[in-house]
Amino acid sequence: MSKESFSQISPSEFFYRNRDLAGFSNPTRSLYTSVREFVENALDACDQKKILPDIHMSIKAVDSEQSDPKHYVLTVKDNGPGIDPKHIPHAFGTVLYGSKFGLKQARGMFGLGATMAILYGQITTNKPVTVKSCSDGKVADEFVMLLDIQKNKPVILKHNTKEASKTGLSVSIVLEGDYSKAGSKIRDYVSQTSLITPYASITFEDPSGEKFHYPRIVKEMPAPPTIIKPHPHGVDVETIRRMIVDTHYQIPTVDNKMMEKVRKELGQKKSLTNKDILERAQKKWPDLSRPVRTIIAVMSFLNVDFDGLKKIRIDDLDVANKKLTYWDFGEAQSHAIDLDPESPYYKQLANTVQGDTLLTFLTKRFQRVGPTTAEKFCEFAKLKPERRIGSMTNEELVRLADALQKFDDFLAPDPSCLAPLGEGPLSKGIMKFFNPEFASVIQRSASAYSGFPFVVEMGVAYGGDIPSTGLKVYRFANRIPLLYDEGSDVVLKIVNEMDWSRYKVKGDPPLVIVSHICSTRIPYKTVGKENVADRPELERELKNALQFLARKLAVHMSRQGAADMAKKRANLYAKYVPLISQFATELSGKKKEPNYKQLIKIGSEIEEQIQ
Amino acid sequence: MKNKSNKQKTAEARKANLLSVLERHGINIYDDLDEGKFPQFVIPSRSVNNIVYDKKIRQYILGNASAIRSSRNMSQLRSYTQLAWLAFFVNRLVREGKSSTLRDIYYSSQAFSIDFEDQPESDNIIVDLEAVTSSPREEFHIFPEERSSVFGDLTIEYTVPGYEGKRVNLSDHPDGYLIGPSLSSAELVDTSAELVIAIEKGGLFTRFVEENVHKKFKSIIVDTAGQAPRSTRSLLKRLNQELGLPVVILADGDVYGEHIAMVIKSGSANAAHLRELTVPDAKWLGVWATDIEKYKLPTIPMTESDIKRIYDLQKDPRYQEGNWKKQLEVFLKIKRKAELEAFSKYGLTNITDKYLPAKLEESKSL
Repeated sequence: MSKESFSQISPSEFFYRNRDLAGFSNPTRSLYTSVREFVENALDACDQKKILPDIHMSIKAVDSEQSDPKHYVLTVKDNGPGIDPKHIPHAFGTVLYGSKFGLKQARGMFGLGATMAILYGQITTNKPVTVKSCSDGKVADEFVMLLDIQKNKPVILKHNTKEASKTGLSVSIVLEGDYSKAGSKIRDYVSQTSLITPYASITFEDPSGEKFHYPRIVKEMPAPPTIIKPHPHGVDVETIRRMIVDTHYQIPTVDNKMMEKVRKELGQKKSLTNKDILERAQKKWPDLSRPVRTIIAVMSFLNVDFDGLKKIRIDDLDVANKKLTYWDFGEAQSHAIDLDPESPYYKQLANTVQGDTLLTFLTKRFQRVGPTTAEKFCEFAKLKPERRIGSMTNEELVRLADALQKFDDFLAPDPSCLAPLGEGPLSKGIMKFFNPEFASVIQRSASAYSGFPFVVEMGVAYGGDIPSTGLKVYRFANRIPLLYDEGSDVVLKIVNEMDWSRYKVKGDPPLVIVSHICSTRIPYKTVGKENVADRPELERELKNALQFLARKLAVHMSRQGAADMAKKRANLYAKYVPLISQFATELSGKKKEPNYKQLIKIGSEIEEQIQ
Repeated sequence: MKNKSNKQKTAEARKANLLSVLERHGINIYDDLDEGKFPQFVIPSRSVNNIVYDKKIRQYILGNASAIRSSRNMSQLRSYTQLAWLAFFVNRLVREGKSSTLRDIYYSSQAFSIDFEDQPESDNIIVDLEAVTSSPREEFHIFPEERSSVFGDLTIEYTVPGYEGKRVNLSDHPDGYLIGPSLSSAELVDTSAELVIAIEKGGLFTRFVEENVHKKFKSIIVDTAGQAPRSTRSLLKRLNQELGLPVVILADGDVYGEHIAMVIKSGSANAAHLRELTVPDAKWLGVWATDIEKYKLPTIPMTESDIKRIYDLQKDPRYQEGNWKKQLEVFLKIKRKAELEAFSKYGLTNITDKYLPAKLEESKSL
């Protein structure tokens, strides 16, 4: 045997050891990532409660005389719902404690990032995090905490309460950062966030005290996303296994609590014989809960009362072989008894252990699967619709998972879990942000890749205040600006593949493209979540959106071109005709100039050129 | 003594003709403007496929294709105005007896807010006006920078302002006379010469003067300074036409020398729009490829570009027959060339004493 010792590490410790995975690789990137995580959490919290967000963020140097990298205090304050004080220590002091594990669109994935930022702050400066929260509009709780990395637990240093007048959350950490390098990215991040969140008011105060304020442009918030069931294309074997486990009821643990529950449902009597129990159960059967029914079925086969049940432990229920195996604590040995398939309790046990039929499983646990589709699917997967999912073998599960991926007749994923910004707010945001001479936006209808729904929103802006420095692309995913790793992004690829000259766009145009991809799962290329991978379905949607906008732009350009041309013509004729007249007058030896004024007018009105 | 008194005023006549052509254009433009019509120029096309060789007049000429430059067309409005300005400016130059250069034109335009982007653009407009009026730019008093010279017993009478009526004999100054604007516009009054010898190089021109070639052969000597400038070709043409003098040409014994002779004789494709520049009866005396062997001249090997030039010329219709064709073939065969100075191997006067008389004799049979 080797002398290696094996030990489990806590999630905090895991993230501590792998912090660069989550975007905390150096002081520059860490400062930027921390800003992102807190701002995104704040916006998400407001979105969920339909509160128009009002975000204040500040970065202050602890000692401004020092040179970068140095310690900074990062504070992000919102007007969201706040957090119930009893959850605060865990929410900010435990890694992997979050409310974002459902299937819907949110900015952050699991709410890991904020804790990571706190963790990073703690390990670089050994300073605690300060969280102020008010969730009822009356009392604000302030916690000062450290994380116990090894135990993955919060250590509360200080907790006090104060009166407050409105809800909201403020988180403040001290961390090592490099603002001189991260500054431009952070400012870009804040300004681009305001572009894609036009319903938010965002204020940022930088270390020098300069304030960047982005006021609210629109007052209506996009509809919040709903939590939905998974789409068949989006699950794998492991997901199915988990879904099955929580579908079928396992034999409940028999403890005092459970006993109490059985007694209560049967009617408060303290001591009942096995016979009494079964009699009462039969009368009240329709009102009994499923675990209680299961316990009673077991009691019927074992022919025991409550005291008897306490002395044994049920080990296995083999429905196929109709055997029940249990451990008798008193005798300290295992027993197996045969089950009578004719007994009405057998069916109860069988159903409990085997779970739903495949047909029910498909229609109940997946989105947009009806009985007809489910039956067609069973035929396709060569699985019987009445097959109980709890009794499926490993190979059958793999076959099921495989078939779910391959079956083409499922409806497209339900996009109600998505929250695109909408054409109106996007357009207003673009107009306010760029002040262009022309802008157009489009929201494509929902599509899906691998079972994950997505919606592409895109906007194009031309001219006006936009400088003529060539095409610039603003990328967003789930309302987050993507600032790094631009080169390998699918949006950039689509934009670069466009033949812009076909749309009358030439040279270094004053052109901006705003692309927003919403999905329950953005197919990021890397864990840094800064560039989106090129899935064919996504590519197609992006391309269609871009072509639509490019055509609109081309119409604008040719209108603009015609107007420019007319103006240019007018100028040219006004310049040259008098000259021609002057030369001709001298050449022909005349004294008076000819009446050429009419020609200037005609010249500027000619539509088509003679070639 | 050939006195051309009956055609004395040819320079005046050509000037008057040009001015009337310009005036006619001016009137047309004026009337169009007055009637609300867009004036336009019809310009014979100078594109490659409109340049054809006319066997009858033995030079390259333009075909029938022509382009319209209209002030109605926005993309042509600027160049139309440039052309109109040039006509106007040339009219002034000619009337005031002032001369100008290609570079001058480029700058003069700026005084009239006519914007030429660069000199090539203004040079092109000058060629356009040549095509429109069928007159060489020298008639417009616009001269290139390059100058060649002439020497011999020829009396001319200036027409340029300040010198009107003044006569000069071109044998008075041993370095010869520059063929410049005043000489080009002068009337050719009188000569005792019976021959014009055009020679490619200034050094040999001086030698010929020193050796009294003008007396010995009763000739006017013209230095072409390489490929003859158009003012020089124009003078050769006038000496031939107005004074009836035959023209012979001496050039280096290589493919370029042969072509110098050809251009004097029948023009260049570049000037296919002009017909006043050729001397169809001019004779190429040498140095021929066959002379190299015959006179045992020291030679230098041909370069790649010399040989390429031979292949190019072999495609030219004028080199398809006779001596022209034969000499090209011999050059190609020996792949060597000899300069005029090569005769100095046999003494400085060998070329004037031996070669020239022999070739003049030989040329009579051509």
